[in-house]
Amino acid sequence: MIDCFHMLASPLPPEEAHRLQVLPDLDILDTAPEERFDRITRMVARLFGVPVAMVSVIDAGRQWFKSRVGLPSVQAGGTNAFCAHTILQDGLVVVEDAHCDARFADDPLVTAHGARFYAGCALAAPDGSRIGTVCILDEVPRTLDEDQRALLRDLAGMVADEIAAGELRRAHERRSENDAWLYGLLEHIPDGVLMLDRAGTVICGNPAAEHMFGSDTGGLAGRMACALLGADAALLLDPEHSPDAPPQEGGGRRLDGSAFPIEVKVAPMCLAGQQRYAVIVRDVTRQHELVQRNRATEERRRKHFTTATHELRTPMASILGFSELLLNRDFDLATSRELLDIVHRQAGRLVDLINQLLDLSRIEAGGTDGLAVATVDVAELIDQTLTGLNGLGQNHRIRVELEDGLPAIAADAFKMQQALTNLVSNAIKYSDDGTQIDISTAALRRNAKLMVAIRVADRGIGMTPEQQAHIYDAFYRAGESQNVQGSGLGMTIFKEIIELHGGHADIESRPGAGTAVTLWLPALPDHG
Amino acid sequence: MDKTILVVEDQDDLRLLVRLSLKSLGRIVLASSAAEGLELVRAEKPDLVTLDVWLGKGDSGLDVCRAIKSDPETQHVKVLLLSACGQQSDVEAGLAAGADHYVVKPFSPQSLGEAAAALLAA
Repeated sequence: MIDCFHMLASPLPPEEAHRLQVLPDLDILDTAPEERFDRITRMVARLFGVPVAMVSVIDAGRQWFKSRVGLPSVQAGGTNAFCAHTILQDGLVVVEDAHCDARFADDPLVTAHGARFYAGCALAAPDGSRIGTVCILDEVPRTLDEDQRALLRDLAGMVADEIAAGELRRAHERRSENDAWLYGLLEHIPDGVLMLDRAGTVICGNPAAEHMFGSDTGGLAGRMACALLGADAALLLDPEHSPDAPPQEGGGRRLDGSAFPIEVKVAPMCLAGQQRYAVIVRDVTRQHELVQRNRATEERRRKHFTTATHELRTPMASILGFSELLLNRDFDLATSRELLDIVHRQAGRLVDLINQLLDLSRIEAGGTDGLAVATVDVAELIDQTLTGLNGLGQNHRIRVELEDGLPAIAADAFKMQQALTNLVSNAIKYSDDGTQIDISTAALRRNAKLMVAIRVADRGIGMTPEQQAHIYDAFYRAGESQNVQGSGLGMTIFKEIIELHGGHADIESRPGAGTAVTLWLPALPDHG
Repeated sequence: MDKTILVVEDQDDLRLLVRLSLKSLGRIVLASSAAEGLELVRAEKPDLVTLDVWLGKGDSGLDVCRAIKSDPETQHVKVLLLSACGQQSDVEAGLAAGADHYVVKPFSPQSLGEAAAALLAA
């Protein structure tokens, strides 16, 4: 039996570098024995009645045996001279007696292991590269007739087929893995993806696209993309369209007919010789809403600024105008006093306005972070509000009715007093002297939340529904505004403050009957 | 002949200011709302109307101005708009409504008087 063989320098095939590059991709070197090869090797040994048969792969500097009969080692250093010659050519190499062939007589297989007979056929990879041999050895000289030679070639062909089959299987596995990734990607990306044929008919769509257009699974196939995307066919189906072009804005149309804004990107492609279009659709409803909201905020700010400027210019007109008249003309003392009084009053109004505007912008900018929240007792809050009115309302009858055991609230006491002051002073300003103003409190559940209600009711001029709709608008003043002192910002500030506290207000009002505003604030849960 | 000037202004103080500013130019008639202003334009056929742009209750002096200038009976009446809206676009809107002059608040009573005198002389 042949034990092991070490080789002298052997000729190298001309495409050696390429061959060595192909080898690792075949995933055959240094793999475990496989029955599909072993059974062919056993068959070869039996059919030819030889003690040694092998399927060898010739690597750089070694010969490795994928399958072997009569060989104990899985590899040998270098390549024996027989196989080294076999791999140089496509045909069979048959050495009937190595002792009679100068090329092989010195090979260790012959000198050390007693090999006399060799027959081998080059093993071809799927790309045609010769990667190894299928060969047989015997210790006695032998001959092979034509049938036997053809048989060995066929058997070598079967081994090559097995290698090719392995390669195919691996390619298929790689492809399946790729497909799974791609499928998962398409399945889960939030953007809709549609594949269109050359006429613009949807071939398939991913779940995001189906969801976007309100379709069942597979429900988009066969539909015209132009109808779904609200896009011009010529624009959509341009084989020259650059995928780098910026997305087109469009009007998407769901299967139920409803419209929504979309952004569309088209990538023309050629798949299996067919013109196709990949369309990426993004629902931009949210972005549009954001833009519109920002626009509305901007518009509101601009309007607020214009109105504020207007409101500041009005008292300034009185101050500047009357002071100029007083400087340039001679009025009698009474008229002078009257005009000075106007200047003084309007200057005060100007200061009020500036302070209120600053308050409002501070409250808006500070948000809830600007609140110094503490536990506030509602009775105390009302008491301090009334004390802080500084004589305003002294000609009204203000009646306060407090419910017993009222829960406390979590509030910025200073700001909440400011809100309540604005509310009470409105009640005073918009009702006649001598009339009654009722302030009452209650603790009630609203939407399963315990709320404290503070109600301020006057018997004043009241408001129409149209006036009520504008009550929180900056600088809006109901009724005969000119006779009522104020900046027109009181209720705007009131609303900002109570909303920062998680509260809200209800308004009941009728012209001529009066106005009642109920302020609702979340109660603190553990009240004593 | 004595000129008649109609002052349409919803704010008491400013109505007084305009009246004092213009009283040397003629007879002053006062209105505090858009409706009253239009009524007095037709009744008094003034030579000049000074018209506040924001008249309260959502009424606009621009509408009053357009009404004056589109009525053949009153279209010759000179209109001077007085407004706290002082942007270029506001002035353009005022002139587009047919106003003969636009004065931004705050204003100098003397300048207002001069502007009104120029309109009355034209």
